[in-house]
Amino acid sequence: MGPLDDQVVREDSLTATADGLNVAVYTHWYRALPLTSLTKVDLTVDGQPVDPATLSVTVNGHRYEFAELAVKADEYWFTTDPVVLHVPVATAPGRQHRIQLQLGLSIPYILTGPDRTPLLTPSSTDKTLTAA
Amino acid sequence: MTDTAPGLPQLGTTLFSLTLEQRAPGNDLAALLRKVATRELGPGVEMVAFQSLRGWPRLDDAAVRKVRGLIADSGLTPSCLAINLDLALQPGRLLSDDEAYEYVAVQLRGAASLGFPAVRVGVECGPEIMTRLLPLAEQLGVKIGVEIHAPLTIDAPPVAALKELFTRLDTEWLGFIPDFSASMRAVPAAVDDAHRKAGIAPELTALTRQLWAQPGPTMAKFPQLEQRAAELGAGQAEIGNLKMIFTMHGRMEPERWADFFPHVIHVHGKFYGVFDGPDGPSDPSIDYPAIVRVLREQGYTGFISSEYEAHAYTGLYSAFDQVRAQHDMLKRLLEAEPAVAR
Repeated sequence: MGPLDDQVVREDSLTATADGLNVAVYTHWYRALPLTSLTKVDLTVDGQPVDPATLSVTVNGHRYEFAELAVKADEYWFTTDPVVLHVPVATAPGRQHRIQLQLGLSIPYILTGPDRTPLLTPSSTDKTLTAA
Repeated sequence: MTDTAPGLPQLGTTLFSLTLEQRAPGNDLAALLRKVATRELGPGVEMVAFQSLRGWPRLDDAAVRKVRGLIADSGLTPSCLAINLDLALQPGRLLSDDEAYEYVAVQLRGAASLGFPAVRVGVECGPEIMTRLLPLAEQLGVKIGVEIHAPLTIDAPPVAALKELFTRLDTEWLGFIPDFSASMRAVPAAVDDAHRKAGIAPELTALTRQLWAQPGPTMAKFPQLEQRAAELGAGQAEIGNLKMIFTMHGRMEPERWADFFPHVIHVHGKFYGVFDGPDGPSDPSIDYPAIVRVLREQGYTGFISSEYEAHAYTGLYSAFDQVRAQHDMLKRLLEAEPAVAR
């Protein structure tokens, strides 16, 4: 909820590559978070849900499988940098895609409830955009 | 700079106010510091290390030199560096006390190398860790302040435990950073806009506002809200957003700020908008005269960092203009309040 949610996926976020579709995602939280905070990426492209196990991501110039992020506690996603999701779907420059993304960030310093679990802060995106 | 008369609190800005501006092309750290200085929103400058400093918490020497140079060039005075104890850094467990100490200690050393005289931590940095950090704080000459942000109050058990610790240790190096958000008189109007855009039914927002305004401790209102909002058909995500009204906007009486003294090392001037009214500019959600009176009575001469946070709800207003309006109002109130004989 809030103005930063509108910027999670931007007008120029989509790029067609030989391997599929790259989606540049920006954080809706105000500060850099450890990569372990990127806990929920529910992505649907053109109505087809994308299994996170098939996603790889590039952040800070390194490419990781999505599952690897859970052990990357010593690396941070900086406030103004994108995380690029590499999505295995067919595309080409100029093609339009409907991107629905439920992003959930685990906030490691805000602990909630008697079990002291980290706050999960969501953002919701539904945009139809053209791949460059 | 918004200079205040000698013997009064000093004003400043935290770059957190500029969260939306930071996302605009060209607004890197150098540009934001320059703009704060050009618009005379100092003399103090604060920042959230994890927000503003790429590479934090491990800045190399070149990065430290660069940041120090940018602050020096701006002419602003480093007031406080907000750091974080990311207790849930590792999935499925919390950091041990040893890990938590190291996580904060690295950042305390970083703050010292950048020339900040104080750091801000959250209440999750409890008495045990604070006690262990004290020798390092003394050695580095950096004060550690625990921010008291809504929904915390001076009476909340973790805050009371810290007060007991600070009283017992009787040290200038550990203390509180009270935040205006702990003492609000109304929920900001921008909340309604944000809820509407998020598709939250107006009656749910109204219910939450009504519960907020009722007397009684905020903590007791969370379960009431959950139950009554669910009866009105709210889902978990909506209830989470509604709870933020309680989490972000506290109701402690401003007069209770006196109880944080003499352990106040810094103040956060959180606010959600200063607007022109029939009697001049005012903030509908925060009782500035009441808080300013306490700061004057206690002889507080540290910084008040203006912390505009309506950007969490709306992008309609310029944070620069809002901080300007808050500075003008604070300066007028601080200098109008009669001096207190001490």
